[in-house]
Amino acid sequence: MEYLPEMHLHNPATVEEAIRLHDAAPASRYLAGGSDLLVNIRRGIEQPDHLVYLNGIAEMHAITDGPDQISIGAAVTLRELAESVLLREHFAAVAQAAGEVAGPSHREYGTLGGNLCLDTRCVFYNQSEWWRAANNYCLKYRGDTCHVAPAGKKCFAAFSGDVAPALLLFDAEVELAGPDGRRRIALMDLYRNDGMDHLTLTSGELMVAVHVPKMPSAIPTGYAKSRVRGSIDFPLAGVAVRMGLQDQLIADLRIGLTGVSPLPFLVRGLETFIGRRPDDACLEEVRDVVRRQAKAMKTTLTPPHYRRRVAGALAQKLAESIF
Amino acid sequence: MNKISPIQSIGIPKPLVDGPEKATGKAMFAADFQATDATVGRILRSPVAHANIISIDTSQAEALPGVLAVVTEADCADGYGVLPIAMNEWALARHRVRYRGEPVAAVAAMDVATAQRALDLIDVVYEELPAYFTADEARAEGALDLHDDKPGNIEREVEFDLGDVDAGMAKADLVREVDFHCAEVCQAQMEPHAAFAEYDAARERLTIRPSTQVPFYVHKMLARTMGMSESHIRVIKPHIGGGFGCRTETLQSDLIAGLLARKARGTVKVVLSREETFITHRGRPESHIKMKVGMTKDGTITAVDFTAQQRGGAYSGYGIVTILYAGSLIYGIYDIVSARFQGYRVLTNTPPCGAFRGHGTVKTRFAFENLIDGMATELGLDPFAVRRANLLVAPTMTENDLLVNSYGLDQCLDWVEKASGWKQRKGKLGPNKGLGMACSHYISGASKPKHWTGEPHATIHLRVDWDASITLLTGAAEIGQGSSTVMAQCVAETLGVDMGRIRVIAADSALTPKDNGSYSSRVTFMVGNASIDAAQNLKALLIEAAARKLEIAPEDVECLGEVYRGGQQDQGLTFEEVVMEALKGEGTLAVKGIYDTIPESWGGRKYRGAAIGGTMAFSYAAQVVEVTVDPDTAEITVDKVWVAHDCGKALNPLAVEGQVQGSVWMGLGQAMSEETRFHDGLPLHANMLDYRVPTIVESPPIEVGIIEANDPHGPFGAKEAGEGSLTGFLPALTNAVADAMGVRATALPLTPDRLLELLEKKARDERVSANASGKVA
Amino acid sequence: MKSTLSLTVNGVTRDDVVPDNLLLVDYLRDKAGLTGTKIGCDGGECGACTVLIDGRPRHACLTLAATCQNAKVETVDGLSRDGRLTAIQRGFHEKLGSQCGFCTPGMIMASEALLRRNPDPSEADIRDALAANICRCTGYVKIIEAVQFAARERTA
Repeated sequence: MEYLPEMHLHNPATVEEAIRLHDAAPASRYLAGGSDLLVNIRRGIEQPDHLVYLNGIAEMHAITDGPDQISIGAAVTLRELAESVLLREHFAAVAQAAGEVAGPSHREYGTLGGNLCLDTRCVFYNQSEWWRAANNYCLKYRGDTCHVAPAGKKCFAAFSGDVAPALLLFDAEVELAGPDGRRRIALMDLYRNDGMDHLTLTSGELMVAVHVPKMPSAIPTGYAKSRVRGSIDFPLAGVAVRMGLQDQLIADLRIGLTGVSPLPFLVRGLETFIGRRPDDACLEEVRDVVRRQAKAMKTTLTPPHYRRRVAGALAQKLAESIF
Repeated sequence: MNKISPIQSIGIPKPLVDGPEKATGKAMFAADFQATDATVGRILRSPVAHANIISIDTSQAEALPGVLAVVTEADCADGYGVLPIAMNEWALARHRVRYRGEPVAAVAAMDVATAQRALDLIDVVYEELPAYFTADEARAEGALDLHDDKPGNIEREVEFDLGDVDAGMAKADLVREVDFHCAEVCQAQMEPHAAFAEYDAARERLTIRPSTQVPFYVHKMLARTMGMSESHIRVIKPHIGGGFGCRTETLQSDLIAGLLARKARGTVKVVLSREETFITHRGRPESHIKMKVGMTKDGTITAVDFTAQQRGGAYSGYGIVTILYAGSLIYGIYDIVSARFQGYRVLTNTPPCGAFRGHGTVKTRFAFENLIDGMATELGLDPFAVRRANLLVAPTMTENDLLVNSYGLDQCLDWVEKASGWKQRKGKLGPNKGLGMACSHYISGASKPKHWTGEPHATIHLRVDWDASITLLTGAAEIGQGSSTVMAQCVAETLGVDMGRIRVIAADSALTPKDNGSYSSRVTFMVGNASIDAAQNLKALLIEAAARKLEIAPEDVECLGEVYRGGQQDQGLTFEEVVMEALKGEGTLAVKGIYDTIPESWGGRKYRGAAIGGTMAFSYAAQVVEVTVDPDTAEITVDKVWVAHDCGKALNPLAVEGQVQGSVWMGLGQAMSEETRFHDGLPLHANMLDYRVPTIVESPPIEVGIIEANDPHGPFGAKEAGEGSLTGFLPALTNAVADAMGVRATALPLTPDRLLELLEKKARDERVSANASGKVA
Repeated sequence: MKSTLSLTVNGVTRDDVVPDNLLLVDYLRDKAGLTGTKIGCDGGECGACTVLIDGRPRHACLTLAATCQNAKVETVDGLSRDGRLTAIQRGFHEKLGSQCGFCTPGMIMASEALLRRNPDPSEADIRDALAANICRCTGYVKIIEAVQFAARERTA
């Protein structure tokens, strides 16, 4: 029953109006589905005085099939993404990842933009005000100690959106709009490796759409996540894999990870697998590369060791199953 | 000519009598009550785990506009607790806080924001004390006592040594001893705790609707805490959104609602958040069990030697009973001739534990059934054969003097063995798949009540008036388990009338007779029997009236339920006509039925506390669990569960199935994903994301076989159905995983990370032993 | 800040002045007096508050009432307006899909949404559709049977 503080709600009809409203009010936040933000407000992690509600902006709801790219409005819901025939055809991993977020009711109103801009999560952060106060808060919010790594000055809260690693497979770009106009950046550049401040959005900037270039030929992709329960849970580790073969040999290999660090990222060093036969030995090596880069910290109740192992295992399984 | 016969109401599936309300949203739970003048009650909780309270200054909060009342321990007349011998808790902490989240003060205000502002204005000065979050820390030399009268932080030490354990071990062909660790778990019922309290200031009377399984205990503890006459309090139990034991004692929120309403001289609604509901806790304690069993080559158990240490939390609660059950119910399921037990219930700076479905028995049974499964493997015996080698023969008394009058475990074993295809499928499922089995049992109510007053265990009133409807008045708390339905069935069956005639009014202290509450699976057995008794008394009155009207002798009246007649040729009297006759010169009929246990069922005297475990009848259960394990991620999929439960006569087979499925599944959560851990005493799982109650996705099909080994004392032969089959799931799961993967888990829950560790350790051990024997590939 | 909210709740048009921070679940329970919709957690974790907005299931505890302008909201309270239990309600009652009843309103609304878009769901469809709704009593076995019963009743 944790209650919401008093707030002002604004209902812009255009992106430009939304930015103006956001800019005019101090302590304002953009609100789309609310499945993340409203929980955080109820817990006192976020305390905006103004909410700029994006659902009335038509531009942000469209999925557009262009000649070279598919554009997806940031307010498109995760269910719409998961069910989109277009996405399933071109970017299977993205549709799969969207369909794995939380539970079905969450996906009805949770949005693409919300999932990409999801706040980082940590067991010491996603707690009530009473809890965090009793624990002297934490580095990420109002405190000066990271309870995950008390000796350091870095926040390890983990990015836990499912869709980002899948979009990273396809060189997706995000279209941002702010007080200074619009810009397009690589999705990868939306993130930085800092649990406290993991988004590179500038003040008042809003994600309008995601543009995903079409691939010249279909390359198999897929997404899998580890969680204790079969639904609702955030990923302990989420893995997106893209693997294309030519003449039985690996011609294309990308792996995106989520849930194991403050940002989603593409696994590095996979080019060494190009030209190799994807046999058991090869895929075990892929597994080990993923494990080494999945540097999970104690941000969840499930220990980091497991999250590393399972990230590797899921990558191996996906690579085995998608071609 | 007349084919009329009494209407059957038991033994056939019956939807619950209060089902339509639940399906339409009309069922009123505590938080659903509204009043235009109702204020919001909110609780200030301790941020520290252990501290003396130096001062509490509430003056600023009291002065805040919109605040109607602020209460602290100064408003409490006395402490409280569920056991008369261990009442050491206060509705609001008195002089000292002992766990993080313990209520310290509370306010009633016009809205929630004002209430929170008021809480923020309360100034509490704490002097922090050393805090202990594990049982070992609390028991360590030099640890500060949480309570002055509990030296060494031992709530209770239990010991028994029955038969000759050492001789039994000496006689065994195989003796094994294993340490087991089980995490603390929480009931996590769907409804957060709530209470709606109305204070009638003109008459100084309180009416309260608390979310409780034990309205009578809440009534008593409200009177005690508030220093009020019990006669000035009315407790009405609303619909209850589950309990599973956490509501079998009075909770602070119930008492605080009463205190606030009185001080505000009006109506107060206290609704806890999910986090506060977790902090209120009363779950199953973290336990460390050391289990040693001796077994002969044919599987006969020769002796059991075991210890249990429970982290009980900061207050006594049910602790003494929990640790006693952990020992005593090693008996009652198999023929155990000698057993030794040492148990410690430890006080720690964590939220108090309580009575959770399967109270006290679950972790002991897990350890035992897990251990003997491993021993069976070592001896090359089938797990079923080991159980069958140790069956009891009813009627009997166990070595610790528990009465066993009915015993269907053998039939349960037969049923699950056949239904699961055990004989054909065991060992043949292929890689990473396995079958495991285990057994369990539970009491049908504790035979000795906690509050020994000389009253019967259960009382039922039946009222019949000119409209010929039957009103059944019971104090028993319907909490979703179907108790009101089973009582209506018992009355309808006894009278042979249509159940539609019966209206159940449950648990309103102004209307219904006292009942101890819904716990330890007592209701079907005890209140069911009282219902039958009441219906028989009513039937006697009706037969007399019919005889008068028909001008025949009462023994010649044939009662066909809806028709009373003198014989085949007689057209007879309708039920309505009989009732009208009975009312003549008498007015509204009001009859009573009671039930009491027999002294033979009161448990033994061979050790201190031996009465705990005594019951009129035991239920029995056996189950087989089939699993598939992903060797790479260590994720376990439970493909199917087959469970047979001996509940004696299944009064309502639909409800029995529902209870058994729910029990098995709750065992699944405890076995696989649920646990409550702490960070310096702060709960790490105090929400429904991190406390992982299984979702529908990973929940398996559960096939139920109902075994009816009728008990001579049960209502129509019935015994308990709502708890006994929970326990067996835990060992059946670990036994199935052992079958699938060759690793035996001794710590629960068996989450993927824990299983992965076991699998990796096995792989390492195999490499080491392969290296040692020179068989390196 | 406050605004006037116009919407239909269970087919009834309503206009209410609501504060911007009012959650839909509190609007339904406290303003509209429809207490069938339950609150079981501190936000989006249990599904007890599931209602239909324009026919789709959604958590009323993570929805601001003011964002439901002109929406069509349906709750368990309004399913049986003609006084008779609908198929899904009968399923939960007769098949014992409901024990304590606290998750039932959310379960019923999520099931109703499923059956409207998929009149003949497989067991897997049912599990998918109810995957955000926690029940603590039934182990879900009889909930699945309740939905299957309702599907048969609706097509009969």
